[in-house]
Amino acid sequence: MRHGGQSAITMSRTSLISLLIFGAILGYFLTFGPETTQKFKSGVYGLLAPFLTGGSGIKKQITSVRSGLKSLDQLERENAALQVENRELRATNQGLRNVEHEVNRLRHALNYRERSVFKLVAAEVIARDSSAWWRTVTINRGKRDAVETDMPVVTDVGLVGKTTTVSDTISVVLLISDENCRVAVSIEGSREQGIVSGERVTGGLTPFLDLNFLSKQADLKPGQKVYTSGVGGVFPSGLLIGSVKTFHVRELDGQAQLTPAVDLSHLEDVFVVTGRR
Amino acid sequence: MIFFGCLLVLVLVAQIAELFIPALPWLYNAHVYIVPVIVFYGAMALPFPLMLALAFFAGVLLDALTVQVIGGKVEISAGSSILLYGVLAGIMHGLRPLFARGRWEVHCILSGVFTSLIVLAQYLMITFRRGSLVFTPEIWWQIGGPGLIAMAIAPIFFWGLQWLGQMTAYSYGPAGGRAE
Repeated sequence: MRHGGQSAITMSRTSLISLLIFGAILGYFLTFGPETTQKFKSGVYGLLAPFLTGGSGIKKQITSVRSGLKSLDQLERENAALQVENRELRATNQGLRNVEHEVNRLRHALNYRERSVFKLVAAEVIARDSSAWWRTVTINRGKRDAVETDMPVVTDVGLVGKTTTVSDTISVVLLISDENCRVAVSIEGSREQGIVSGERVTGGLTPFLDLNFLSKQADLKPGQKVYTSGVGGVFPSGLLIGSVKTFHVRELDGQAQLTPAVDLSHLEDVFVVTGRR
Repeated sequence: MIFFGCLLVLVLVAQIAELFIPALPWLYNAHVYIVPVIVFYGAMALPFPLMLALAFFAGVLLDALTVQVIGGKVEISAGSSILLYGVLAGIMHGLRPLFARGRWEVHCILSGVFTSLIVLAQYLMITFRRGSLVFTPEIWWQIGGPGLIAMAIAPIFFWGLQWLGQMTAYSYGPAGGRAE
């Protein structure tokens, strides 16, 4: 009995000590300021970078196999009467079409990079946000590629967001559809200026953006284009953000809902604006 | 310790995998969270100190991947996920005798409830910073959806992890935990 009692005391002592250690480390973490948190995040991302890059490659392979199977299935349905050779030829064709699509995409991106007035660093989206409350993507460029915090990220179509956490080889991009990403904008054909931010939660697949602090008389029309105004210092002026979907007057100001120019749910290649040429 | 090491690796793999699992459009873009299910299984299967270590590891990863520093401000303090995992895993650890008697259903349901609690706590924290406490149906689905998914996948994961425990010759009793 005494032995059992001693064992119980030892167990609880071990638990108590481990709880104290846990509490002490937790307390240490809770004292982190913004800079330390940024360094901590950057450090962990640096450690996870090889896994994220590897995971992205595996995901691409899986997606490619899945889409390949889908097209074979379609071919089977559409060409049930055709012979085996014909089916093989079509499958080969499909493969070539995928390559062509990729070549076109890269050529398009390269053209944009060459004609752009900005110094651009091409990057690939390797992972998306895993949380419900933030809209972020991870790209495969970091400090080694001259990427820094708060640099605009664009595609040939328009603004995507800005970098937040930057490690040596990968960076986190806060998308314009995030409530925290605020962009000063001006509206095509109008003297109105406002602030665009994302919505806290989006139920649908396509996120919408809110354009706030407009005057009540703004009277924006659907389809009007919205560009960055350059105010604030992070985003250069003239980058397309989206187009007006709806406009309504509130008690103190006017508010518009925008459709983003860039399809933020299917990002593949982006550019980090590192400066002007 | 082998089983504990396996759980650590699984938490890491699951955390990275979550970044590649797309949100579910048919469930208001609810996200799939696997890590809490593994942590809560570990909370039942591991002794108290190792349970805390697992919760700490999962919390550090979640903090590192979710905490955003924007404009020189931190929305959710680093350490908040460690605290959340620690408390919830501690509660789960208290229900360990029931699990050892073969009553899994309570823990599967609790895994879902606790997963939703983590998402809810994150939402309350960001709301505290951003202001305007709103609860639209979409937000409820963002909170409840991951819990429902966790509840649904928990039996499969629990079964798999129990099998892993057997493979690594890990044994534990209803009253106290003993690794290998």
